[in-house]
Amino acid sequence: MVKTIFIFCILAIFTMALSNTNYRFEKPAHFPEALYDFSKNPLKPEIIQLGKILFYDPILSKDSSISCASCHSPFNAFAHTDHDLSHGIRDQIGFRNAPALFNLAWQSTFMWDGAVNHLDMQALAPISSHKEMDEDISNICLKLSGSDKYLDLFDKAFGNNKISGESVLKALSQFQLTLVSAESKYDSVISNLTVFSAQEKKGYELFLEHCNSCHTEPLFSNFQFADNGLPIDTTLNDFGRMKVTQNKADSLKFKIPSLRNLQYSYPYMHDGRFKKLSEVLNHYVKGIENRPGLATELENRIPLSSTDKVDLIAFLLTLNDKNFVFNKEYGFPKFDK
Amino acid sequence: MKALLILFFPFVAFAQESQIRFKLSFNDQEIEIGKTYLFENRDVNIDNLKFYISNLQIIFKNKIVFQDSLPARLVDIENKSSLSINLKEKIKFDKIVFNLGVDSLINVSGAYGGDLDPTKGMYWTWQSGYINFKLEGTDPLCKSRHQKFQYHLGGYAAPYNSLQQISLKLDKKSTRAEIRLPIDLFLKAVNPQNQSEIMSPGSRAVELSAILKQLFVVKSW
Repeated sequence: MVKTIFIFCILAIFTMALSNTNYRFEKPAHFPEALYDFSKNPLKPEIIQLGKILFYDPILSKDSSISCASCHSPFNAFAHTDHDLSHGIRDQIGFRNAPALFNLAWQSTFMWDGAVNHLDMQALAPISSHKEMDEDISNICLKLSGSDKYLDLFDKAFGNNKISGESVLKALSQFQLTLVSAESKYDSVISNLTVFSAQEKKGYELFLEHCNSCHTEPLFSNFQFADNGLPIDTTLNDFGRMKVTQNKADSLKFKIPSLRNLQYSYPYMHDGRFKKLSEVLNHYVKGIENRPGLATELENRIPLSSTDKVDLIAFLLTLNDKNFVFNKEYGFPKFDK
Repeated sequence: MKALLILFFPFVAFAQESQIRFKLSFNDQEIEIGKTYLFENRDVNIDNLKFYISNLQIIFKNKIVFQDSLPARLVDIENKSSLSINLKEKIKFDKIVFNLGVDSLINVSGAYGGDLDPTKGMYWTWQSGYINFKLEGTDPLCKSRHQKFQYHLGGYAAPYNSLQQISLKLDKKSTRAEIRLPIDLFLKAVNPQNQSEIMSPGSRAVELSAILKQLFVVKSW
């Protein structure tokens, strides 16, 4: 009997200790230091859980029809497939393809044009966009404050049930910060746990020669902005970063996306114009429009033979992270009322 | 007698503290939302007026005697308590310095609460950044929809950083000061007929912010 009580007490202390422990952000060994300042928003399991529930809840949209996950599905590495341009509230078509969400802690600008300068503030853009969620952060706080479920969740997360724009945004950030993709075959090779096939190795060498300066490993992007020579789509006339900086030199520049999880996150480019990786490579081989502002690396296009393209794609497929995409931790939250 | 003392004590105590209050005026009258004001022979309305001040410093004989610990304060015509800043002690001063707007560091540092919470309606959503100063109203000569004028001034990134440092010297040392912002003079300088909507960072937001800087005046009371 005494023994049982003793074990029970030990277990209780252990559980309490666990629930009070802040979540540790694990940086993959071969990744650089994260850029997100965790000291301003220390990760905590209850806040991450709240962020996840918010991420999957259409309450964030005006008519409760669209959640973050509507355009950022876990099975697509949190991107939006099937559509070149993502669609939002009342079936309205947006004007860009929803980007995949992972390894966000290593990024300091967000959106294809870098209009958002911090992960915390990113959610405000889709929430307020008339074509996406058409809602207002104040109204979201009002709606959440009317829900016992959320009052309880905010209380557990932040120690008070006062729901504010700051707490909503920080919770959403926390969940998204946990979306780390670092378990692809490439990662295993880098960690000396496996080796590339001969074809993948050839593709990796081609990648290092032609792609790595912008799609820099191990994140597979330097997260800068560049004009990659895509002919302008005159139905959209999207000039990218220039709209944000009002600097002509930034015309047609878009944020360089990561090449991880390409198999899950098609279609490609800011306007989702390419459905297949072979189309993307063909663009770099023969589709680039030479114009002022074009990335200097692309001035002579990328010379790839048919075999090179196959090899390069074989390598790119080693960047797919199945463990990330099918990680149940990131999926639709189970919630007991 | 005792009851009387208790009743008056808070007022006596209050009068001991230093205070800075804002008078947001139109034709020298304190602005009231929904009230009509005569402006160049026509009637205009003010529907919304709020702005951030940050890094508030109170100075006496070139020495900082009070440094605000808050990252920023939202002065909002519709929130009366935001129109005065009561200090905890009585301080003599002869100069007040503050930024009109939110500095670039705060603008790039993620989500804040309190006056900087994005629910305050002073954060752009489609592009990161705080709106430093917001003035909305109607003028019958505006060519915009519903004859509205809307000035949302902000922008923290070079070359369109609209933050303005305001330095106001009092005519004599005092423990209390009133900072006045005559909105009629701002409208006169801006001319809503010609530019009724400025709602994104850029050169015009910087120009208008620089106009505001010139309009602040201080008076001891």
